Amino acid sequence: MGLIVRTIARTTIPLIGIFGAYIVSHGHLTPGGGFQGGATIAGAGILFLIAFGLGEMKKHYSKSLYSALEGIGGLAFLGVAMLGIGTAFFYNTLWHSGPVLNGKPGTLLSAGFLPIMNLAVGLKVFTGLVSALAAIALWRRWKE
Amino acid sequence: MMAFFYATVLVGIAGLISVLRLILGPTVPDRVVGVDTLNTLVVAGMVLLGAAYDRTIYIDIAIVYALLSYIGTLVIAKYLQGGLA
Repeated sequence: MGLIVRTIARTTIPLIGIFGAYIVSHGHLTPGGGFQGGATIAGAGILFLIAFGLGEMKKHYSKSLYSALEGIGGLAFLGVAMLGIGTAFFYNTLWHSGPVLNGKPGTLLSAGFLPIMNLAVGLKVFTGLVSALAAIALWRRWKE
Repeated sequence: MMAFFYATVLVGIAGLISVLRLILGPTVPDRVVGVDTLNTLVVAGMVLLGAAYDRTIYIDIAIVYALLSYIGTLVIAKYLQGGLA
């Protein structure tokens, strides 16, 4: 699109990305969490695709990387859920007797495995949505 | 405290008027401008309600809505311009 939209996108994309990362990392303290933050960061990807066009998107988007990252997000969620398998599936062993993430409730480094699960879901949602949008855009062959 | 609710009601009346433009608007750009106005008014309403209920974390949702409504309007504008054909 035009010069104004591109310039605004250059300043807005980092803003949306940082705010989405804030939503993901504070999922256990404030409204939001993995899906909401991941969808917000995917909004930055959509803004990139809209403002700079498909040609620029092709240079910065790798299908295999995003596919692998989506799988890693899902596997990290399941792997963290397996940590307390000695007691039960999804047993929050990091919170009860873990070395990290068992601070005072209400602080950032608390809630056991919840922040890790939020990060995993956020990564999965972001890569999945951007991959879906890029696939649709490639299929329609968007112009600049 | 009640002043924030009254201000929200005023913003809601303005939102109803822009919904009227959304329904009546003879052309598509009229409706897009109506939606854009409604988005900004919804953000204002969210901030006012966050102040009325005395919850700081409600402002986060207003920020996210403001950022994403901008992207939505941009996508519709690009479509009307012929860029997505």
